[in-house]
Amino acid sequence: MRLSRPISALGRGSLVIAREVGGIAILTAQVARALVPPAMDGRELVRNLYRMGNLSVPIVVLTAFFVGGIMVIQSGVFVERFGATGLVGWGAGYAIFREVGPVLIALMFSGRVGSNNTAELGTMTVTEQLDGLRALAIDPIRYLIVPRVVAMTVALLALTIIGNLVALVGGALFSQLLLDLPPALFYYSLVDNLRPEDLIHGLIKAVVFGLAIALTSCHFGVTVRGGAVGVGRAVNAAVVAAAVSIMVLDFFVTYLVK
Amino acid sequence: MIEFRNVHKSFGGRPVLQGIDLEAKAGEVLFIIGTSGVGKSVTIKHLIGLLRVDAGEIWFDDKRIDKLSEREMYPIRKRIGMVFQHSTLFDSLTLAENVALPLRKHKRMRQRDALAEARTRLATVGLGDYSDRFPAELGDGMRKRAAIARTLTLDPDVALFDEPTTGLDPVSARRIDALIRELSDRRGMTSIVVSHDITSIFSIADRIAFIYSGRVHAFGTPDDIRSSADPVVEQFITGRPEGPMETPGF
Repeated sequence: MRLSRPISALGRGSLVIAREVGGIAILTAQVARALVPPAMDGRELVRNLYRMGNLSVPIVVLTAFFVGGIMVIQSGVFVERFGATGLVGWGAGYAIFREVGPVLIALMFSGRVGSNNTAELGTMTVTEQLDGLRALAIDPIRYLIVPRVVAMTVALLALTIIGNLVALVGGALFSQLLLDLPPALFYYSLVDNLRPEDLIHGLIKAVVFGLAIALTSCHFGVTVRGGAVGVGRAVNAAVVAAAVSIMVLDFFVTYLVK
Repeated sequence: MIEFRNVHKSFGGRPVLQGIDLEAKAGEVLFIIGTSGVGKSVTIKHLIGLLRVDAGEIWFDDKRIDKLSEREMYPIRKRIGMVFQHSTLFDSLTLAENVALPLRKHKRMRQRDALAEARTRLATVGLGDYSDRFPAELGDGMRKRAAIARTLTLDPDVALFDEPTTGLDPVSARRIDALIRELSDRRGMTSIVVSHDITSIFSIADRIAFIYSGRVHAFGTPDDIRSSADPVVEQFITGRPEGPMETPGF
């Protein structure tokens, strides 16, 4: 009896995960089908690019600036101990481009944009606005979902590029302030040692994370059941699913795109 | 024009529709009435494929439509518009943008032209001065009128109204009634109205279908229903709490 309880709980949990993953896979197929040939509402795309991308710039800039500083503080101890000042720019840039930049900005993006997207779509679902679209013979996938998926993917890619640059500026500044390293040394350490692949590696992750956040947040939004309480649950589930997806996909992209 | 043949629908094993037989003629105002939770809204949502029948058939203009795919339903939805109970206007768009949306999508109008047309349409329901307001800034009655304007932009042959007067003050409710009647009289539009607003029912209906226990329990003109000797129909019309009628949840 005692043993069967955790086993049945495990089974229930597995079924829930399978159902959600299946739902996301179906949504992915629907979005892919709508993109060949590309058919989406241009106004919705521009509107979403603005509110998801442009309006996220300040928070990304602020976060990225201090991330650059954190990289310098963490590496500063070893740099001073071993006198490896010439590697500070490379170390900070390598970590920012390949891992810290894409992952942190994606998590920030998921919290700000993904959760908002789920809440908005969830509210539209429980107030029958999606049925209202269907009743007007307008496909919700093409009108609502595809522009959001494209906008979130493009926005996260752009925000990652901006965040990477700001993080490097922050790193250079904090190197000067904390380690007394001139910005020129930081710069040459960066450009002499980093390769384009390091930047591209991170940008591939940004695209993959953007797709994951977009698809999970849209899926949980359009499958909401149970009114306002359901919307709250969906937002929670979307944020958790996006965070888990980011970490799992980070592992696979890091492993596969060496 | 529209026919339901022995339509069944269950939700989670709970039967809601248990053999609906119903017919609506072209140009008439048909009311579907009954207690809350009896399946009135469920019935009309089947007509535009928002819900799918478990068994039975639905016909529209001599074409069976209950088996059509989502994509095949789009031409039908352009001919059968629906005004939902809670208006379903898009919060992020102004009234004019809401009404312009189907014009842009289906009549291939440019945004500027669609907005101009939308303002004209809104003026016909008395909302010309509110075109640039967002739905959240307006009352229920205004939102419902805007939703009606949006539904009518595609000039449908049939309009479905889900409780159009629920929650409205008496004056707004009678204005909505007058608008529905006018659409039938002047444009020949068929209207199917889900309601339990007794005043609306007996003031503008051509025919009435009373749903009870998952079936059409009584069907006829307002006079037929008003003079019905059926104790369930009589209890519903008079609104007496005592009687043979079983009400879900009571």
